[in-house]
Amino acid sequence: MSTAPAIRLQELTRTFRVAPTTVVRAVDRLTLSVVPGERVAFIGPNGAGKSTTLKVLSGILHPDSGEATVLGYVPWRDRRRLAFEIGTVFGQRSQLWYHLPPRATFALLAHVYEVDPSVHRRRLASLVEAFDLGACLDTPVRQLSLGQRMRAEIVASLLHAPRVLFLDEPTIGLDVSAKATIRGLLRAQSQDGHATLLLTSHDTGDIEHVCERVVILHQGRVLWDGSIDGLRRRFMKTKRLTLWSEAERLTLDLPGARVLAARPHVTEIALDPRKTAVGALVDAACRQGLLHDLTIEDTPLDEVIRDIYGEAAGHGS
Amino acid sequence: MTPRVGKYVAFGRVGASQALGNRAELGGRMAFVAIILGVFSSLWQAVAEHGLPIAADRAALVWYLAATEWIVLTVPAAHVDIEREIRTGDVTCHLTRPFSYPLALASQGIGMILVRAPFVGVAAFVCGVVFTGTAPSITLLARFVPFAFMAMLLVYGLHVVIGLLAFWLTDVTPVFWIAQKLLFVLGGLMLPLTLYPDWMQRLAHFTPFPAMLGGPAGLLVPATAPDTVRLARDLAVWIVVMAMAARALFERAVRTLQVSGG
Amino acid sequence: MSTWTFARALFATNLRAALALRGAFAIQALFMLINNLTFFIVWWVLLRRVPDLRGWRLDDIEVLFGITATSFGLVVAVAGGVRHLGRAIEEGELDTLLTQPKPTLLYALGMRSNASGVGDMVSGVLFLVMSGHLTLTSAPLLVVLILASAATFLGCGIVFHSLPFWLSRTETVSRQLWELTITFAIYPEPLFGGALRLLLFTAIPAGFVAYLPARMLRDPSPVTLAASVGAALAYVAIAVWVFDRGVRRYTSGSRFVAFG
Repeated sequence: MSTAPAIRLQELTRTFRVAPTTVVRAVDRLTLSVVPGERVAFIGPNGAGKSTTLKVLSGILHPDSGEATVLGYVPWRDRRRLAFEIGTVFGQRSQLWYHLPPRATFALLAHVYEVDPSVHRRRLASLVEAFDLGACLDTPVRQLSLGQRMRAEIVASLLHAPRVLFLDEPTIGLDVSAKATIRGLLRAQSQDGHATLLLTSHDTGDIEHVCERVVILHQGRVLWDGSIDGLRRRFMKTKRLTLWSEAERLTLDLPGARVLAARPHVTEIALDPRKTAVGALVDAACRQGLLHDLTIEDTPLDEVIRDIYGEAAGHGS
Repeated sequence: MTPRVGKYVAFGRVGASQALGNRAELGGRMAFVAIILGVFSSLWQAVAEHGLPIAADRAALVWYLAATEWIVLTVPAAHVDIEREIRTGDVTCHLTRPFSYPLALASQGIGMILVRAPFVGVAAFVCGVVFTGTAPSITLLARFVPFAFMAMLLVYGLHVVIGLLAFWLTDVTPVFWIAQKLLFVLGGLMLPLTLYPDWMQRLAHFTPFPAMLGGPAGLLVPATAPDTVRLARDLAVWIVVMAMAARALFERAVRTLQVSGG
Repeated sequence: MSTWTFARALFATNLRAALALRGAFAIQALFMLINNLTFFIVWWVLLRRVPDLRGWRLDDIEVLFGITATSFGLVVAVAGGVRHLGRAIEEGELDTLLTQPKPTLLYALGMRSNASGVGDMVSGVLFLVMSGHLTLTSAPLLVVLILASAATFLGCGIVFHSLPFWLSRTETVSRQLWELTITFAIYPEPLFGGALRLLLFTAIPAGFVAYLPARMLRDPSPVTLAASVGAALAYVAIAVWVFDRGVRRYTSGSRFVAFG
């Protein structure tokens, strides 16, 4: 496999004039690289520059300065040629024809992307099976549930076997099980088809279950770029422990240990492992009586990210 | 003012500010008045070359059109908004609140009409003067304006009834097209009804349309001037009929919603 | 060639979508037909009482209505997306089209269709039949004239509805300019003179949409035919150029206010 980056951004800058005298930097000297087959999540609050970056990369927006290449193409110059190689799913917009069944949209897209009919048939069959669309393939889109529609949207974006897939808020508005289904499918498709995935989201679940790498954007700049584990390890301050004990109450007065909640026989603790090791805390609990059960969790990713923003805001922009 | 009345005055104000806010629409209607009066000024001139088929002069006929267009263009296309509210289900929110939807619509409509009428009216008047070099006497205008306002209310009522049909029809726009064309033809938008064949005139008088346009506008054209008492009675009767129809439709719709869940 | 196959596939999909709601399609088509016929009654009433309007009689008005309705209906039925273009620009709906490898304008035009266009076309043909000018010999000429008229309509429609590329909140103005063209197209040419006539053969091309084709039937001349066809080509070329410039502006982001 080629080691040339699938996506490369170099000092990319894009500003917008939102009022006669106000210019906002939506993207500010953004530099990063994505390797083919990688699955990257772009997260950030509204206005952080996620959608703008996606628009520049898909060729529908010119940057003010800086460079970007996607699969070797300069997106805003080679938009038509690049279009054959990329797929897009904009969560708030649909490319499915509302009054027709998904099959009709798929057939039209085969013409749009100039896919050979037999290749299209084969690919459609495999995608329909993978995404479980058999039952809805011939039902008008307006009669489909949001989950079914989203699956059909993603199939529509994958029909031409794109090498890069851009997804803007793909799970927005979906219920928990629909989200889980779509995340699993996206991950599998990317792994099987070696497609590079670039996804923006507000939902940390999307990040954890689909992507391996997360880029946190804040005011157009990269705040963090690395693996999710790395994110946790770097910013992890506390572990959450829940202890079910024989004793009605536990006294755990150790440095870095804070009792979050205490019910008879159940104690929840936030622990900073740098001050007291997890093992030391458990030992201390065991010495007070039999421990029936114990759970240890990492800090929720949401909190980690909120802390990062908090730090960034504290340092000023 | 009791809180109950005040409620509907507030709706009226909402309608008024909506109308004021939509400047492009207002400007467009004023421009259209100018254009159509210009076209018809030219048309009646062309007709006059062979002799006008009616006991009126070209100027009076242009003022006739100015009057009918003032009425038609002032009334907002309420059916579009009502259809949207029904289609999106927003109307169900209104049902849980302590006010009468039909009355609120009427109040809003009055508010919108009170704002739009001066703008479109001034445009129509100015163009009338420009294209004919004359103006109707103050007495004629003074008699005409109140009837015109009643006519506007009636036309608005028609739009509301059409909009309410959205509870049953998937798309009321086609119904609106036909109603509007019937209004133009049987109401005598461009041609006074006295020009029509007798059988058509008799047919027209079974409908509310002549009272909406030709009747009030005819007050400005001495040759076609209707009996004002008769016109007032016709307008009053049709307004009541339209209001009752709107109320009946709405109540039927609410019952259907309550039974079948929308 | 792939653009042509795409256009065919797009048109077929569009037609399917329009027919998906069978009942609504029939009603829209039928009611538009009735709408046009009803409006024509006003002319019938007037021209019973008046010998002619500067040489134009009832059959001439029927020709005018026939051509305008048929060509307008054709545009609405086949390239109905033109009326939605302004909204698509203002609300960023072009984004989805721009990321796909097919001509954006063609795609945008062919994405919508309105059954009322069919009603317009049927009424137009009826008017032409009533006028007596639709014969076996005149049919090919009429087809050419109507296609030219429709192309001019489409061209100016694209330009009007592309205004949102440069100005914000012009959706109403675009629609009004479009409707103005139609308004002028259904009144006889001799009513207009001077500066107005100049306007009607340039910015608001009712002259090319309606008057020239109508003139061609009353008083055939190769010059009139050439002018109709030439104008159609010119308006389409201008429209494509304007839209292309508009897309450049759109992708340069200078019209954006919202971002994220």
